[in-house]
Amino acid sequence: MKILVAVKQVAALDEDFEFRDDELDVDEDFLLYDLNEWDDFSLEEAMRIKEASEGEVEVVVVSVGPDRVDESLRKCLAKGADRAIRVWDDAMEGSDSITVGRILAAVAKKEAPDMIFAGVQSSDQANASTGISTAAHLDWPHAAVVAGLEYSPGASKAVVRRELEGGTLQEVEVATPSVLTIQLGINKPRYASLRGIKQAAAKPIEEMSLGDIGLTPADVGADVALSRVRRMYVPPKGRAAMIEGTVAEQAAKIIAIIKEYKGE
Amino acid sequence: MKSGKRPVLKLPDITAQSLVTVALVSGDLHQAAAVYGIAEPGARHELESILFGERRNALTLARWEHTPAAVLQALARLSDNAIRHRLEKNAGTSGRTLSQLYQSESNSGLVGLIAQHRHTPATVLESIAAGSQDEAVLKVLATNPSASAKALRTLASRRPGEFDGALASHPSAPADLLESLYASGSDYVRAAVVAHLNCRKRVLAQAAIGGDPLVLRHLASNPRAPAEILARLARNPDASVRRAVAANPTLDKGRLAALADDESEMVRRAVAGRDDLPPAILARLAKDADHWVRQRIARQPGTPLELLNALANEDNAEVRRAVARNPKCPASLLEKLACDTHAWVRAAVAYQPKASPGLMKILSVDKSVDVLSGVAANPHSPQMLIRRLTQSAEADVRRGVILNPSASRQTLRLLLQDPYYLHRVLLAGHPALQDEDKWPLHDDPDPTVRFATMRWFAGKVPAKRRA
Repeated sequence: MKILVAVKQVAALDEDFEFRDDELDVDEDFLLYDLNEWDDFSLEEAMRIKEASEGEVEVVVVSVGPDRVDESLRKCLAKGADRAIRVWDDAMEGSDSITVGRILAAVAKKEAPDMIFAGVQSSDQANASTGISTAAHLDWPHAAVVAGLEYSPGASKAVVRRELEGGTLQEVEVATPSVLTIQLGINKPRYASLRGIKQAAAKPIEEMSLGDIGLTPADVGADVALSRVRRMYVPPKGRAAMIEGTVAEQAAKIIAIIKEYKGE
Repeated sequence: MKSGKRPVLKLPDITAQSLVTVALVSGDLHQAAAVYGIAEPGARHELESILFGERRNALTLARWEHTPAAVLQALARLSDNAIRHRLEKNAGTSGRTLSQLYQSESNSGLVGLIAQHRHTPATVLESIAAGSQDEAVLKVLATNPSASAKALRTLASRRPGEFDGALASHPSAPADLLESLYASGSDYVRAAVVAHLNCRKRVLAQAAIGGDPLVLRHLASNPRAPAEILARLARNPDASVRRAVAANPTLDKGRLAALADDESEMVRRAVAGRDDLPPAILARLAKDADHWVRQRIARQPGTPLELLNALANEDNAEVRRAVARNPKCPASLLEKLACDTHAWVRAAVAYQPKASPGLMKILSVDKSVDVLSGVAANPHSPQMLIRRLTQSAEADVRRGVILNPSASRQTLRLLLQDPYYLHRVLLAGHPALQDEDKWPLHDDPDPTVRFATMRWFAGKVPAKRRA
């Protein structure tokens, strides 16, 4: 039995930053990289199934990205994932979340997992579409925003509780294999033990190219993306001021502000 | 960090040079930052290639709250506006560095960051107060606690009326400035003036004549308010004024009885929170209808035993918890409260420094994380019991052990491999552990742990042997 966990190395921003000259993204010097928070919960859910199972369960993490992504994959290995796969080719640069879903689906076809977990969304791009796109490319059933899961390895269905508006939950039965996007709070992710971290440092990370997963440069990248970033910018801030003084003084100031806006 | 190149540093050889060598060989950013302050000038130059060689590292250090002042000072030499911006916002940037940045700063927004920094020297703030034309800069300066009376006077004279609220609340505001602000300011400004410790008595007396509850409330809170004024305010029809009187530490005890019977629970709560209550008032408030009042009485060290007994039988769990937290709570009551049905009450017993080792043993089999965390942190817990709790799956419980002043070296050593990195950070500076216990943490996978460990060892190097 195998669970494939799709993870992403996300970029966090400091409060002060600069944009790249092309204004399409933030200057990389200002970005701090870490494993996507949702993916910590996805991995933990997979680990819990593995640890609760009497049979053998393999947890494989997969990510699409350049060399620096290895750091996040090692974090997953340190927490107990059995294998880590990183898929990259320079042609993938500029892929949108739908295309990343195509890449992950191609990996899934090669790995033949029984379940795929992904985070509901990534904290940096927040498209919330990669997991669902993967399911679509595979033509697998899916359930999004999973806040509770009952699944035994080998079972033909899983029961999931989906988080909806207003604090309501929707209990759904979903056939397996399927893709589930996991919500924050479904479990309490573990910290990697020091021993786990040291062992993870020695574990290999499998690198896959486009050819390895049966895709070509024509299948990925900015050219086939259905969306593209036109500009990234900080919107102008609104102004606010505390009006102090007596009631009469406050009223006088408000009148002055209104007159200023009216150009009187 | 680079692997496989770390030299073995024998503990007796810990010197500035040896620590710097470890950092240089590792090439690790956080080790380098930790030892930079103890390095000789030549070695500092080498460390700078690790610290500032890549712009993203320099940016990270300029923002990081733990970056040592010496590293921030070195960063100030770089001509990079983004780095300057971060330095001027970094709470750890020293006054010297800020002065240096100010000398060459022309951007008004960045001067504003210097104007609001707590470490900016008073002379720099005085210069900004006298020279800046930017309202936003002057406004943040008026709220900077490091601003001197001179700077505040300058602001008041250059921009009369603009920053009165901030000036009236500023701890360095001089009496003459406060008096003039009172004379010309709004009710908000006058309220801030009369709450100020530097406010002149004659201004306090003048304020007492007025009828604005906002001003009177602030006046009533001033510990320098004369007794006769407080006596008058204790009868004010506004409950918020009476509450401020009740909380004033200089209030004459003779006034407490009336306030303890006040119709407003806000006033009675303020009375119940005082540490100078006579037995009669304690007894009266212990039966108050408001549970917050009873809770405060239950926490009072002066509350007699018979009252504590009664409060320990309360239906309200918060009141029972307050009894368990009372520093004078007797052993007999602690034993009773240790069996309470409410985990929050039992947790208070577990944290109680007066609880006996026997009680700790009973509580150590509790299922509640809060209770176990208290047992782990309690200095009276037997060592064997604390040691067992190092194996808890709950990080809060293990942290309790680390925070327990009685935890032995042997116990703490069991936590050196704790999965939670902040626990390892705490252990890097723990006084009960020895150098050889801590040293392995210097190449911990977590950068914060590496930094904390190297910083701790750098702190051991005698000052005269530092660069």
